[in-house]
Amino acid sequence: MINFEKVNKYFGDFHVLKDINLTINKGEVVVVIGPSGSGKSTLLRCINRLETISNGMLTVNNLSVADKKTDINKLRTEIGMVFQHFHLYPHKTVLENITLAPMKVLGQSEEEAKQIARKYLDKVGISEKADSYPAQLSGGQQQRVAIARGLAMNPEIMLFDEPTSALDPEMIGEVLDVMKALALEGMTMVVVTHEMGFAKEVADRIVFMDQGQILEEAIPAEFYENPKEERAQLFLSRILNH
Amino acid sequence: MDFSILTNNIDMFLEGLKNTIIASLIALICSLVLGILIAIFRIAPFKPINWLGTAYVEFIRNIPLLVIAFFIFLVFRIPGLAAGTMALTIYTAAFIAEAIRAGIQSVPKGQMEAARSSGLTYPQAMWNIILPQAIKIVIPPLGNQFINLVKNSSIIAVIAGGELMYQGDLISARTFVVFDTYIFVAMFYLVLTIPLSLGVGQLEKRLAKNN
Repeated sequence: MINFEKVNKYFGDFHVLKDINLTINKGEVVVVIGPSGSGKSTLLRCINRLETISNGMLTVNNLSVADKKTDINKLRTEIGMVFQHFHLYPHKTVLENITLAPMKVLGQSEEEAKQIARKYLDKVGISEKADSYPAQLSGGQQQRVAIARGLAMNPEIMLFDEPTSALDPEMIGEVLDVMKALALEGMTMVVVTHEMGFAKEVADRIVFMDQGQILEEAIPAEFYENPKEERAQLFLSRILNH
Repeated sequence: MDFSILTNNIDMFLEGLKNTIIASLIALICSLVLGILIAIFRIAPFKPINWLGTAYVEFIRNIPLLVIAFFIFLVFRIPGLAAGTMALTIYTAAFIAEAIRAGIQSVPKGQMEAARSSGLTYPQAMWNIILPQAIKIVIPPLGNQFINLVKNSSIIAVIAGGELMYQGDLISARTFVVFDTYIFVAMFYLVLTIPLSLGVGQLEKRLAKNN
């Protein structure tokens, strides 16, 4: 479904992604971990062309993401994205945040879009906040709205870029619960996170990155019990024993 | 203070006021439209157009308004008021463009990313997400520009534009009552600028409320 083939990415002279080869299949939950600056977020952002790759081949549903002929707006409707800092639209209500793209991009009527939005708000457990503005919500609630906003487009893939890193510890659970439920329903998910519990429990596969390279790819049990790479061992010992 | 200056020349003062209002109003609307256009030029994701916008702003805002007014008056050979209004429009648009560009760019980058990643096109994201947020930020500096515009319209006097300052010059030359005449001129400008200032303040408050 998502396929990286020898993908490289430079920011000026800085080599952010080095020869990335990665395949993500339909229904798979892939968790990307690694130290900060290792290129995890960039890898994720390449998938919906928020960043353009420098060379190599990146396809989503067999469409080349970098190809100028690919209708990127259409491709993006199939890829939902959740950001670390939510990025809800502050001048729109929760409901308007969710209905905007379905109405403007998919051409849904207001009624239809609202109905779908309420369904997803219900699903993430904050239907009572439909008419609030983002500023009136807690971080956890805002992030759940952001997830509902992504889901309302009925995407095939959901990307999560450190979705809990900006949250108070108390609110991390409520967001992870929503993500777990989504994973159980068979959504294809790529998640950049530091939540090791979530990775262990939900991931089908762990991808460990350092300095722009994928150093290790393994199922969670294998990765946590017996990481092969020295850098991964060091990372895990630091992150788990504190 | 000699109020007879005001009463004896009220026709001229009112004629000047009328012309100042006409010049300001036309220049205000036109410079806003032109300014928005240039701001879009400056941030558009296309280099040659960026360059064009930047060239306009840097060229125009670094020439005195007086020089632009003379230039248009002499080159196009149109009446002073028209030439002056045109000069005001061209000059103010450069500053408005900068204010609007700054407003648009102060909207966090994530807003555009969130909008684009949901499949909205660049113009859709601009119109629905970025501009509504930018407007709130832009109102105060835009208000400044509008007030400056009204005051700058006094420049048109040097090309016989027939507005307030010009009438003041005529009256003072005719009556030799210089000081009092310009006091009244100043008051007429205040009659225009203070309501404008208050209006912008009100607008600012109203926009801040629905956030």
